Amino acid sequence: MNEVNEAQRERPGYPFCAIVGQQAMKEGLILNIINPWLGGILLRGEKGTAKSTAVRALADVLPVQRRIAGCRFGCDPDDDSFWCAECQARYAGKEGGRDRKQAQVRPTDWAETEIVRSRMQVINLPVSATEDRVVGTLDIEYALKEGKKKFEPGILAEVNRNILYVDEVNLLDDHVVDVLLDAAAMGVNSIEREGISYSHPSRFVLIGTMNPEEGDLRPQLLDRFGLVVDVYGEEDVEARVEVIKRRLAYEGDPVGFAAAYREEQATLSRKIAAAQRLLPQVTYSPQCLRLIAEIAVQLGVDGHRADLTFIKAAMAHAAYMGRTKVEKADLLTAARLALPHRLRRKPFEEGVLDQDALDRIISAATL
Amino acid sequence: MNKVFPFAAVLGQERVKTALMLNVVNPRIGGVLICGAKGTAKSTLVRGLAELTDGMEVVNLPLNVTEDRLVGSLDWEQAVRAGRKSFCPGLLYQAHGHFLYIDEVNLLGDSIVNILLEVASTGTNTVEREGLSYSHPARFALIGSMNPEEGSLRSQFIDKFGLYVETGGEKETAVRVAIMERRLAYEADPVGFCAQWQAANRKIRTILHRGRALLGGVKAGEEAQRTAAELAQAGRCAGHRAEITLVETAKALAALAGRTEATERDVRQAAAYALPHRIRESLTLESAPEQGKGEGRQEAEQQVRQSGGQPDRADEATDQDEATDREVSSEGLSPLNSGAGQGDGEPAAITESKEGDGGNDSASPVPGEDGTALTLEIKLSRRDRITGPGKRNKTRTDGRQGKYIRYRQPVGKTSDIALDATLRAAACRQKTRARERPGGKLGERLALTVRPEDIREKVRESRSGAVILFAVDSSGSMGAHKRMKAVRGAVMSLLNEAYQKRDKVGVVAFRQDRAEVLLSVTRSVDLAQKYLKNLPTGGRTPLALGLERAFQLLKGEKRKNPDCLLYLVVISDGKANVALRNGDPLADALQAGEAIRYEKISSMVLDTEQGYLQFGLAQKLAQAMDSRYVKLDKISGQEIRSNLLDLIHR
Repeated sequence: MNEVNEAQRERPGYPFCAIVGQQAMKEGLILNIINPWLGGILLRGEKGTAKSTAVRALADVLPVQRRIAGCRFGCDPDDDSFWCAECQARYAGKEGGRDRKQAQVRPTDWAETEIVRSRMQVINLPVSATEDRVVGTLDIEYALKEGKKKFEPGILAEVNRNILYVDEVNLLDDHVVDVLLDAAAMGVNSIEREGISYSHPSRFVLIGTMNPEEGDLRPQLLDRFGLVVDVYGEEDVEARVEVIKRRLAYEGDPVGFAAAYREEQATLSRKIAAAQRLLPQVTYSPQCLRLIAEIAVQLGVDGHRADLTFIKAAMAHAAYMGRTKVEKADLLTAARLALPHRLRRKPFEEGVLDQDALDRIISAATL
Repeated sequence: MNKVFPFAAVLGQERVKTALMLNVVNPRIGGVLICGAKGTAKSTLVRGLAELTDGMEVVNLPLNVTEDRLVGSLDWEQAVRAGRKSFCPGLLYQAHGHFLYIDEVNLLGDSIVNILLEVASTGTNTVEREGLSYSHPARFALIGSMNPEEGSLRSQFIDKFGLYVETGGEKETAVRVAIMERRLAYEADPVGFCAQWQAANRKIRTILHRGRALLGGVKAGEEAQRTAAELAQAGRCAGHRAEITLVETAKALAALAGRTEATERDVRQAAAYALPHRIRESLTLESAPEQGKGEGRQEAEQQVRQSGGQPDRADEATDQDEATDREVSSEGLSPLNSGAGQGDGEPAAITESKEGDGGNDSASPVPGEDGTALTLEIKLSRRDRITGPGKRNKTRTDGRQGKYIRYRQPVGKTSDIALDATLRAAACRQKTRARERPGGKLGERLALTVRPEDIREKVRESRSGAVILFAVDSSGSMGAHKRMKAVRGAVMSLLNEAYQKRDKVGVVAFRQDRAEVLLSVTRSVDLAQKYLKNLPTGGRTPLALGLERAFQLLKGEKRKNPDCLLYLVVISDGKANVALRNGDPLADALQAGEAIRYEKISSMVLDTEQGYLQFGLAQKLAQAMDSRYVKLDKISGQEIRSNLLDLIHR
């Protein structure tokens, strides 16, 4: 029986469940774990609102994944549509394939030693990251020793099937952003630089944080984020007190504090895993799609990503609630998360989403 | 295997599909530029096309490509193994005879664009580098997709694209629903979905195949050629490429329809694809081009939406309907027409909005402002700053920011090594070197010995943004309030473009006995809206204070980012009556002005002095600062705008 590889930490991180309030942010993050192809999430807000804490805290509730042993990109043994070239070459005969509709894995002939189980990770992209570190580069050691070209993977390789976390995403260098956009769009990192010609899968959940006072985000990049949450500090005094209390308790005794939340975290983790299994069976009525399309037209969104993210978020939410049919509650939540950043803002307009109007439209509709 | 979303399964976007198909039938058309808002299937269509072109590949050019991979370089593996210099082909070699696809083409670096321009003109790729001399034919059709919000393309570059089409989101609910359904089905089961659409894809492939076969025999008659020439003439297209492309496109249209003669009608239809990015005058054509070849699917009603783009064009939606006259207008193409030629490393000329464009200079009116529409179209020069040794940026941790564009021999020590170039340099010299043992390791030998003289360092390019600071006189003289509002308008429009250029804007207002930073230097539209809401006016004129504060701010910005360009715009009538210390108010102001000049900050003085009795004090200030001087009789957004254009124009 393969061991689950857990990262060894000297001190347990702040538990996700211990974050006070911030429902929207927590929900947004959870939905992205349930459906990693939702498009990621952008957390916009002033400093000190638990944005980074929440993302780092995710690490403990992330699901465990199966990966092909020895694969540099962590390919999924159950889904061969996105295998890297090396796995394709090596395992051409294997029957790795998931019939997603049935949520059943067809029998495969993987030996136990060929599979590794490890938790999905949150990998950090520092703002000062240089392109070669992100995209990958020539393996200089190999080149000098063997006189041959070999690709040395960068962050985009590590991040395949994981979460890429970019703090202060609006401060990222332009050309690094370009690279991210490309990979996020295609799910593939194509490198044509510095003597290397290579491509490999790079499908990841993009989580970014930013402080809007530092400047806006390029619309192209903004559009790539599936969901957006505007994060504010707690207004309620009681809540603020609780935040302080908990933080002090954690700082005073991290292990004990984390232990106190272990049960809750485990429950959440299971709930997420269950939702993931349920997701392929979630259905929606045609009226749902109609309603979404109408809303999109009324809001004047650019392109079609908004619609798709809307329905996908609603489906993920339904799965999270343990249902197999999308209902109004799902649409209401999804609307708040998927639409705010899609409004085409004319110069000089505030560009604020009228939440109440949206809620009314959705509540009044027949699904 | 990556199952790409099938071309045939994309709903709508008939024009893009047609344009792509025309290029497959007749590669001499020269490619297509697809321009449109995000999320409108631009890249999807091109990638889907790859499955339909028999024999012709779609070679992808990633944005962050480096020169060596584009043009090709020394094959250092060969050099090491066999001691021989040979050419390792790049993307241009691969693309010869095929399609070269660039997604987000307007974000491509200048140095790469220059190479593409040269190769596209000569049809040959000549490589002279690393002791290697090689040349090969490189003729390909360029396909580009872009979102105009992100910036425009240089006009020479636009010209290299044979055709031009725009995409937009679908407005009809039913179509949007269908798009969603298809995408969801694809994501749920890519393999199954692709299998479902295989038949439809195959149909298209057959049509294309037939078209290609027919093309050789298609003739364009006298009439057709004349029409082409007339249209090109009427549109005042530059050069002759327009009519040639028109004819080639017309031939492709005929071939697709199964005919052997390209008629006048074909030429007119072709014009809708081949001319929009070349014409300098509006043209009116009859009838819309044929849409969708033999697919028998219900055509979605197309609305060509001009997306965000430059704020100085009113948004126009052009209905494409079979029955209406279609106007091929260059006005709808604001994002493209404003790209001026940009020399390498030379200060760019400003791209003015089109001369003689009359009424189109204004944007949609802004509510709550003066009623004057204010738009700014400022393209500051993209000075390529080359950082290298001896110019260490103290603000950057390791001086390695910026995009690697090429390499060079280092002067002195360097830590920013260009590995690939170094290896290539070393590879050439292996013959004359003994295989060395690396220090300390047992029995290991290096395949490649690198010596200090082989080391090459990276040359990086980073964009330098500008900081534009307004120092505004908000004292009680006439029109102060109006002045402030006009400035606010100017700031907002600058900021709306700022993300493209990485520019920042700030506002300092001076009145009574102090200078206040109303808006600290920022790129954020949100912040500007927040802080420029209240614009207090009234009181005396502490001009020197205002200038000094502005000066401090600008110097602070320079410290943070030594590469940025600084601009100061002073708006005042110069009637200083509050001194800095106990001296003469005007003398203090002039002195502050000189300090600004000494720091080499480019500036402009907008003189708002009114009335019969003119003191000309602002003019004196302008002289002290060595700045441009403009007299404004009444403050208006338009005037600020056009004068700013002049300021940045060097």
